[in-house]
This record gives sequence, structure tokens and C-alpha cells, in this order.
Amino acid sequence: MSDAAATLTQDRQKLEMAALSAPAVLFTVAMIAFPVVYTIWLGFQTFTSTGKQSFAGLANYSKLISDVEFWHGLWITIALFVLSLVLQLVFGVWLALVLFHAKRLPGIVRSLFISPFMMPPVVAGMMWLVILDPSLGAANYILQSCGLPPSDWLASPTWVIPTVALIDSWQWTPYVALIVLGGLQSLPPSVYEAAQIDGASAFKTFQRITLPLLLPTIVTAAILRSVDLLRFFDIIYITTQGGPGNASNTLNIYGFRVGFEFFNIGYASALMLTLTAIVFGAVLAFNRLRGAVAW
Amino acid sequence: MKTRMLATHVALPVLVIAVSAQAQAADFDWMKFKGKTVTFLANNNPVSQALLTYKADFEKLTGMTLKVDAYQEQQMRQRLVTVMNANSDEVDVFMTLPSREGEQFAAAGWYGDLTAMAKNEVAKDYDPSGLSQALLKAATFGGKLTSMPMNIEGPIFYYRTDIFKKCGLEAPKTIKDVEVAAEKIKTCDSAVTPFVSRGLKPAVAYTFSNMLHNFGGAYIANGKSNLCSAKGKEALDTYSRLLRDFGPPGVVNYSFQQISALYRSGRAAMAFESSNELRTVMDGGARLKDTGLLPFPAGEAGQVPTTIGWGMAVSSHSKQPEAAWYFVQWATSPEVQKKMALQGIAPPRPSVAKDAEYRKWIDEEPVRKEWQAALDVLATKGSSEVGYPIVANPESREFIGQAVQDLILKQKPIDQACADADKALDALIAQK
Repeated sequence: MSDAAATLTQDRQKLEMAALSAPAVLFTVAMIAFPVVYTIWLGFQTFTSTGKQSFAGLANYSKLISDVEFWHGLWITIALFVLSLVLQLVFGVWLALVLFHAKRLPGIVRSLFISPFMMPPVVAGMMWLVILDPSLGAANYILQSCGLPPSDWLASPTWVIPTVALIDSWQWTPYVALIVLGGLQSLPPSVYEAAQIDGASAFKTFQRITLPLLLPTIVTAAILRSVDLLRFFDIIYITTQGGPGNASNTLNIYGFRVGFEFFNIGYASALMLTLTAIVFGAVLAFNRLRGAVAW
Repeated sequence: MKTRMLATHVALPVLVIAVSAQAQAADFDWMKFKGKTVTFLANNNPVSQALLTYKADFEKLTGMTLKVDAYQEQQMRQRLVTVMNANSDEVDVFMTLPSREGEQFAAAGWYGDLTAMAKNEVAKDYDPSGLSQALLKAATFGGKLTSMPMNIEGPIFYYRTDIFKKCGLEAPKTIKDVEVAAEKIKTCDSAVTPFVSRGLKPAVAYTFSNMLHNFGGAYIANGKSNLCSAKGKEALDTYSRLLRDFGPPGVVNYSFQQISALYRSGRAAMAFESSNELRTVMDGGARLKDTGLLPFPAGEAGQVPTTIGWGMAVSSHSKQPEAAWYFVQWATSPEVQKKMALQGIAPPRPSVAKDAEYRKWIDEEPVRKEWQAALDVLATKGSSEVGYPIVANPESREFIGQAVQDLILKQKPIDQACADADKALDALIAQK
């Protein structure tokens, strides 16, 4: 077969493959694009309590600017995001180091360490709701047994956000640890040998070698957790429903209530698209950071 | 005041239905829709659980298949909103709380009109006039019957007779007595929580409405929100003070699950919670012999208990409303409601409440007798106004709950809490 004929056959094969895969690709694109386009369209509509719908232009978005609940929800979302992310990254790196160095740790113990993130968030929420119940829960019993004052935990406007952040960190720190552990295992042993020869202490080795080399992995973990944390929903929904008052009313919870409890689907869509833009912004920022710390 | 005073409603529409129904009953055939499938969107609560115990009976009687789509209450509503906004015929029958969403769903056109079917398509033994006329009236919007009652329920007052006896207290007759009892129990038995009721924001309206009405208050006066009236402030102040000073820590997150758990475990002396919770509270038997039950004690306006009931509605988008009606009719028939009553679901039919077998079950335990006595008061004196009687009723409950929480947590003085709520609620009232 001549080269020209072979090229023709290859082109034909490519064309055939493209034609065969086109329906699946189109279907997938439509499945992704339709909900997004539909939500954008809904964001320009207004719905009355009885479900009557009309075109609202940018009214939903201008309402956001003057909506006190939106700004409050944004503040709560950011506070929860920052607090949870810091806790999960710090303790995730620590747990990864423990698992990395404790070579003799039995498999079952390793599995136990990482098991919380395999639990459905609804189950985790229910479990912690019972543990943290100020009257019947184990947490206050333990505090009081140690001579410490009890706490209202999820029922305190002051403590609800730190408590929710702790619950989420309990669940997702092992996930971060697992990612960081993968990063630790891929670090080149030669740099550690060189550090050992130079007499570097364990802390200096961690500070000057491990941490800088791990940074791209940590940023990757931060990106993955950021997406979830900015969309934080299930644990709050189970434990506080945004309360007490509106102390844990994140943007996601607020949007959900506006849409599904008060039936204002148009405004809820505008809220959720704004949240989506925030999530995209955070991911882009972290991606830039990852580029900066890559080695 | 738009309060639906159940006791004052006229029974005429129901009687008209009953007379017509007798003429049609002879032609009625349960097998008319044999082979069809009816989809039922259910709230996975004790009412539907008791009903669905007899699912096979319905399928055998009608030759139809019953497809059940069951969720927890809030999730059920979310599913319903999605289905109805899409004009989908996926759901034929759904559970509804007319007191909460009745105005809204009726205005949105989501309810099928049952008036004609309740006249023309009824079995001989259905007896529509035997259903609580007050609940039927509460489910009638713009002259259209939108749902058939499945049960009757409302918040009632649970109290520990042993603790009351130990502290030298009588069963409270007035709201003031409740406060006095709470104060005394606080010193007499410091191990228990003197009083508990709902503090979770969206759940507050259910119990708070009873207190507001007992004080003689009303949610709306002259077309405006009325929480800052003297009666409104008295109710807000008393309800929040009872929970703040005598309630459990973290009461702002308390709804029926937490209240029942606290009372059942013996750690609360008084609880103001749904009559539906009797089965949960008595679970394990620890509270069976030391609990007394009453309608909530009287205020200046006497006792105006909150009385509601779950209803079964046919979707306006159903492609087979008549087959769906057959399921509704079976589920709300005297025979099925009697079976459900024997499982502790308070019947919306006075005839079932008087049935000999049901009375025997009631007479087995004194607490059941008191439960039925309280329900009788609910049935005769009750108001179905839970939150504002407006289309945006669910949203109105948020602001009532917010005002109560502001006071429990001492975040605002009462004048500011009620004024903020009134301002937000006026905007809701003004919505079309």
C-alpha cells in the first residue's frame, strides 16, 4: 500500500471513529450544558410564591447587592471555608507524616485513621448531632467529667461555625492525609540522604525539604477541599439547618431554602450561580498558586 | 383575623357530598382501574407508615399497583416542588399539610379538585360525612376540596405526674401555672429540665401558634403583621422565657426528635409537643405510667389548641385522577382509618374514635385515655392557623422562629425582635 493510500485509510478511520463517538460526546456535553444553561435562564426569571413566572432581567442580581442575608451567607461561607481548610491542611499533613513514618502500623489501624471520609456526611452529621447534644450528648459529659464547663456547641451562635468546621475536619482530614501521604511517598530519597549527611535536624529537614517539596501536593489537596467547602451543605443541613438564628446560614443553605422552601427558584438560581463563580474564582487562584510552587 | 376556627365551620358542603354519594355508591366498582399503577409521594412519617402496612390490601382490592415514593418531610416537598414545576405526571397522589402549604399549593394550581369525585365516585361504606368536617373545610380552597384528611393532630402538653407529685404541684390549668410549676421544679428536682418545646426556627410556629391564640393574639390585624401587639409580645415573651429560663441547653436546635428523646429519657418534666409523638415518647414503656397529657393550658382567651392533619391530595398533573382518587378513598376509608387508629394514628373520623375496638385499645392505658381526651378538645376547639394565613405561609414561619430565637438567645430586646419580624412579615403579606 502506498503512503498516500495509508494516509487516506487513517483519515477515514479517524472520521469513522469521530462519527461513532459523536452521539456519546454530544449527549455528555448536553447533559453538562443543559442544567447550567437552564440555571442561567432561571436566574433571569422571577417566581411568585404560587409558582407564577416572569422575566426579571437582572433584577435577581441587583437584589443580591442589597440582600443582607446574601452578604451574611457569604461571610459565613468564607469563615467556614478558611477555618475548615486550615484545620484540614494542618492536621492532614500531620496525619500523613505519622502514617508515613509509622511503618509498622497494622493495616487495620491505618484503615481506621482514614475511615471517617468514607462515611456519608449525613451519617456523620447525625452522629455528631447526638454526641454534641448539650443535654444528652457524650461531649458535655466528658467535659464535665474532666471538671470543665459544658458547651452549647451547635446551639451557640458563637460556637456553631467552629463546631461545624471541627465536624467537617474530623471527616475530611484523613482524605487530605491520604493525598499528602501519596506526595510523601513520591519524594526523592536522595535529598533526605544529603540532608542526613549534612547533619540536618528532623525539624529542619521537614521545614527546608519536606514542606517545600510537598507544597504542590498540599495545594492540590486544598483545591479539592475548597470546592467542597465552598459548597458546604449536608452537615449544616443535618445539624443546624442554618441556625441558631442564621449563624450557620451559608450561601448554599440560604439558596436551597429560597428555592425549595420559599419556591423562589429564580433568585435561588442567581444565588447559586454567584456561588459557582466564587468556587471557580477560588479554584483558579489555587491553580495559579500550584503553578508557582511546582518543582 | 383569618383564623380558621375549626369548630365554627359549617358542615353543609360535606353533607351535600354525603347525600349525592349515596346515590352513586351502588354503581361503584373497586376493580374499575384494574391493571393501572398509581404513584404515591409519601412523607415517611408514622401516618404513612401505618397506612402502607396495608398496601397489599389496596392492591388486592383494586387490582392496581401502588408505587410508593417515600421521603422525609422536607425532602418530600422538594421532590414535589420539582415535579409540579415541571408539570410532570410522575406523581398521582401526594401527602400535604393544608395548614402549611394549602393556600400556596391551591394558588399554584397543584391540587386536583376532589369535589366532584367525592360526590360521584364513592363506595357504599366510604361515608364522607364521617370525616372531620372541620378538617375537610380546612382543606377547601376557593370552594374546591383539595385533600382528604388522614389523621388529626396537634401539640399537646406532656407532664410527669411523679415529679409533679414530688414537688407538690397540681396539673397546670393556665399558662401562668406552667411557669409556676417550671420555677418550682427547677429547685425541687434540679436533675430534670423543667420545660421543653420547639426552639428550632422553622419548627417554632407549630407550638408558638397555640400559645399566641391562648393569649388571645392574632397574627394579622387590619392587614398588617401583629406580633408587636400587646398579646403578640406577651406570647413571644412567655414562650421564649419558658425555653430560655427552664428549657434545656441548646433548645434553639430542638424540634420533635430532640424533645421526644429528652422527655422519653426522663430528663424533662414538661414537654409541649405533637400528639403524634405519643408512640415515640412511650417507646420502651418507661413513661407509660408517669405521664399525664392535656391540651396546652389556657391563657386569657382560654384554650385554642392548634389542630391540623395530614391530607391526601391528587396532583393536578396526574393523567389518571380517577384511579388516584380510588387510592385516596381507600386510604381515608373508615376501615383503613380504624386499622391505623389501632396503631396510634389519631383518626379524623369521630365514628372511628367511638368504635368499640378502638375504645378498648384506648382503655388499656390511662395515658391513652388522656391522649384521646386531649384530641377531643383539639377536634372541637382547634385552630388550624400555624403561622400566617397567607400564600407564603412556610416563609412566614421563619420570621416567627427568628423572633423567638432572638429572644431566647437574648440577641434583641422584645420590641426590636417583634418589630423586625413584623417588618419582614408585612412584606410577605403584601406579596401576591
